[in-house]
Amino acid sequence: MLRWFEQSGRNSDVVISSRVRLARNLKKYNFSLKLGVRESRMMTDEVMSRLETITEFAEYSRYDFRDLDEEQKEAMKERHLISEYLLGQEIAAGFASHDENISIMINEEDHIRIQSYVAGMDAKKAYELASEVDDHIGTVFEYAYHDKYGYLTTCPSNVGTGMRVSYMLHLPALTGNDKISGIASEVGRFGLVLKAVYTDTKGKCMGDIYQLSNLVTLGKSEQDLIENINKIAEQIISQERAVRKEFIKKRYMTALDSVSRSYGILKYARKLTLADGMLLLSQLRMGLEEGLIHEASDYETSVYQLMIGIQPANLQMMNDKEMSQEEIDISRSQFIRDNLPMIQ
Amino acid sequence: MLCENCNKREATIHYTEVVGKVRSERHLCGQCAAQLNLTGDNEKIEQNFPFVKLLTGLLASESLQNDSNDYFAGQVSCPRCHMSFREFTRTGKFGCAECYDVFGPLIDENIKKLHGDNVHCGKVYFKKKDLCPEMDTSVELQIEELLTQQREAVLLENYELAAQCRDRIRALREKSSQN
Ligand SMILES: [Zn+2]
Ligand SMILES: [Zn+2]
Repeated sequence: MLRWFEQSGRNSDVVISSRVRLARNLKKYNFSLKLGVRESRMMTDEVMSRLETITEFAEYSRYDFRDLDEEQKEAMKERHLISEYLLGQEIAAGFASHDENISIMINEEDHIRIQSYVAGMDAKKAYELASEVDDHIGTVFEYAYHDKYGYLTTCPSNVGTGMRVSYMLHLPALTGNDKISGIASEVGRFGLVLKAVYTDTKGKCMGDIYQLSNLVTLGKSEQDLIENINKIAEQIISQERAVRKEFIKKRYMTALDSVSRSYGILKYARKLTLADGMLLLSQLRMGLEEGLIHEASDYETSVYQLMIGIQPANLQMMNDKEMSQEEIDISRSQFIRDNLPMIQ
Repeated sequence: MLCENCNKREATIHYTEVVGKVRSERHLCGQCAAQLNLTGDNEKIEQNFPFVKLLTGLLASESLQNDSNDYFAGQVSCPRCHMSFREFTRTGKFGCAECYDVFGPLIDENIKKLHGDNVHCGKVYFKKKDLCPEMDTSVELQIEELLTQQREAVLLENYELAAQCRDRIRALREKSSQN
């Protein structure tokens, strides 16, 4: 039972994952802005206990923020199991499938947020998974639904389908070529937004990982929204590929040298900052995907899994203690040495 | 590209703002975006700030131009969650399901500007009474209700809903004939 970030899928040289998130509210409770502490607790408990009775969720693991410390919650966010918004909530709970591909968050900005992840580029599959969960929940609760506006959400920016579909894209070549901001403003014309997933304190993108998502949620069917984002994603993918191929063709030794150096540092460093780790792993990922270097075994290492692994809360959780910045950087290099694939 | 606000940090947030018929491209760094309070929440990845900002921005400029809107602002509030129109324009968030009926007509045009449309045409939700087994009435009654719903849907030219009703009626009939 592999998790999405341990697998590879369609177009996975560029697309790390597909995600669909559905926002749902219950008719009987006020929305988050007007839901007091006591009602939030009531709503959360009621949803948890009702969803437990649904056979399809019987195997899911469950959590309640009451039982989790900050590090654990932060690490769940680093694995994309819960959202930044949920992390900031006092009261929250939820369900997750064992492979963590499905997550049901309760007491988010909306009462319920259903999230599904699929490896590679397959938003359709991700939507089907989320929609199925949605059907089960909509059976035991009455959703806030409007004949004209569709699924009602706290923010009018989510109303209608309540659906946010996203692709996580690895774009080292377009980043290196300074093409990202041009593309980002371009996609705005299609009701989409492109954003860096990891940024340093100065707001600079780390790891060349971006997320492409729809902004429009109303007036188009889920299928149309997916088709629209697919079209744009395909274009970004082919641009990224073209720049990669061009660079490798023209400056093969430079490309090979930089990927190999990155591997060398990853292998021998004894201290690594997050920014450096992300940069080097991005190089490694591209080198493997483009066949500049090859793994010694048939096993396909997920470099993105390593990127998740080197995030601070995950390292602290693995070490089971609070650590200083230097200790984290040391532990990060250790984690990479332990998990780095062998190269032929 | 540098952030257009501070001109110091790299711009990582890019979007096209549409106000009326004017499109403008915005490029901001994460910090400035946060400082400008563009974010509805602090979700880095899926923050929907352009929409919230746009919506509240549009509403604010409208109420400045139009005194009658100011009058509205003082008068209209949601009977269920007590949110006022003023509070809504400030936060860009609704307080409950009923807010959509209360404020919907006031912001319909803005919703259309944001989404390019103001009518849902995606997945259709069947109300609980049609689905929930614990409220299971006889199959006959369920079919009866669906037929009514179907007729209404046809009248409203919501053919997608009508088709879904038809399919559910067919499924119910098949199931009852098997029993
Ligand atoms: Zn700035
Ligand atoms: Zn209300």
